[in-house]
Amino acid sequence: MNKVIIINLNGIAYQLEENGYEALRRYLDTAARRLEGNPDKDEIIADIEQSIADKFRAVLGANKTVVVSKEVEDVIEEMGPVQDASSASDESAHSAAGAKDGPGPTASAGETPAPPKRLYRIREGAQVGGVCNGLAAYFNVDVTLVRIIFACMVLSGGVGIVLYLLMMMVIPWANTSAEKAAATGAPFTTEEFIRRAREGYYGGLKTFKDGRAFREWKWQFKQEMRQRKRDFQREFHKNAEQWRQNWHQHWAQSPHPHPGWWFAFPFLTLLSVLLTLLCVASILSLVVTGAVFGFFFPAGVHLWLGILILLVIFSMLTWPLKVMRHAYYSHCGYGPVYVGLHMWNSFAWLAFLVLVLWFADRHSLHAHEAIEHLRYAAHHVVDALRDWWNKPSPMP
Amino acid sequence: MSINEKFTAIRKGLLEFLVLKIVASNKVYVADILGQLSETEFATQEGTLYPLLSKMRREELVDYEWKESEAGPPRKYYQLTAKGREQLRETSDYWQKISGTVKRLGQDPGEQTENSTPR
Repeated sequence: MNKVIIINLNGIAYQLEENGYEALRRYLDTAARRLEGNPDKDEIIADIEQSIADKFRAVLGANKTVVVSKEVEDVIEEMGPVQDASSASDESAHSAAGAKDGPGPTASAGETPAPPKRLYRIREGAQVGGVCNGLAAYFNVDVTLVRIIFACMVLSGGVGIVLYLLMMMVIPWANTSAEKAAATGAPFTTEEFIRRAREGYYGGLKTFKDGRAFREWKWQFKQEMRQRKRDFQREFHKNAEQWRQNWHQHWAQSPHPHPGWWFAFPFLTLLSVLLTLLCVASILSLVVTGAVFGFFFPAGVHLWLGILILLVIFSMLTWPLKVMRHAYYSHCGYGPVYVGLHMWNSFAWLAFLVLVLWFADRHSLHAHEAIEHLRYAAHHVVDALRDWWNKPSPMP
Repeated sequence: MSINEKFTAIRKGLLEFLVLKIVASNKVYVADILGQLSETEFATQEGTLYPLLSKMRREELVDYEWKESEAGPPRKYYQLTAKGREQLRETSDYWQKISGTVKRLGQDPGEQTENSTPR
């Protein structure tokens, strides 16, 4: 037993099976879309409906009052896809060939689903390699936000640079229009997932002719879904439990610090965060206004040197804080591993400083002069110290 | 690429010319046109023909009138307008010229001069 839908084609009612009705509706929708902008659109659609009606009448008789789905599909096939004669599209050429070679592309072929979204680098409006641009399009957020996140990652330890370079190598450019569409296209969201699942569910539902098989299938479907949900919950609980246990174990093993640390530690962290913010703000101020909060460096000090000086001041300011925190860490039993790590960090920082100085010496005349001057100054200081040391003491 | 595919664009371009020819001979309705074309290389479908006819009517090459049919509702019968006949003559001439060129090119030089002089 199939449901029947009654339609009106140019004033005459026809009874169509539900699937056939869907196919016909798709065909006419596609036709209307293709004829968009054609001044005779309504008339052409009316002609086509009339022609379809003629064909339907041919299959109906006194003892047959319903057009079945197969017949609707045959009629659509016979009509062929609607082509706008005034627009020279490739598709029209295709169908002209198809008419002679056999069945052309089915009318519903115009319905293409949105392409799945993919991560691409986008050249339009890219600053460096288009990675941020592509990410922003993929996650559908403002590109500035992605750039700020990346900038923060670069500032806090340079992870951002490595990540960016890696992504630049791995992610392809969006070159063709299809790729560009996929880069920005409709995301595969939860709603989309639910829509597809439902489509599949109802699609499967329709294929069952007899009620018992259908009920059995429906029951099975629901069972499956429930099972999946239970599995997920169990997995989640297991993970959470394990995490909790690990944490407890770790806590029990590490020696408890002096209670005073409980107050000192958050305070120290807060202080170092504030200092970091201050450092970033002062560098920004130097770059933007040429002065650190209104304080100008003496003439001849280049921008890069100013930044370097600020960084050195910053690291000197935070030095005691770092020492205190390390004392805390080593006290809590992180031990030699952390100390080793910190030593490596210091070496890296020193190497970076040397590299910057060398680079500046090579490529900036100002820097070169400053460094030369520094050498003389250093000589001067050393000489003065020696003189002071060698000076005969007033009291023998 | 088969010959059939290579000539797709040409067949498409010639369809209007052929429809003009068919309509010129007689008052016809769409099923007649489809029927006459169906046995040729130019077989086509309603989906293509209706938009083409409406374009030709907009360009005032053809016109139609409603006529009662024995079975079913009235049908549109198409006929050429004066402008349509003019267009058909021009197109036929042009087609003669093209097919002449297609025949002539690549033949022996002696033959070629002989063929190309009259006109």
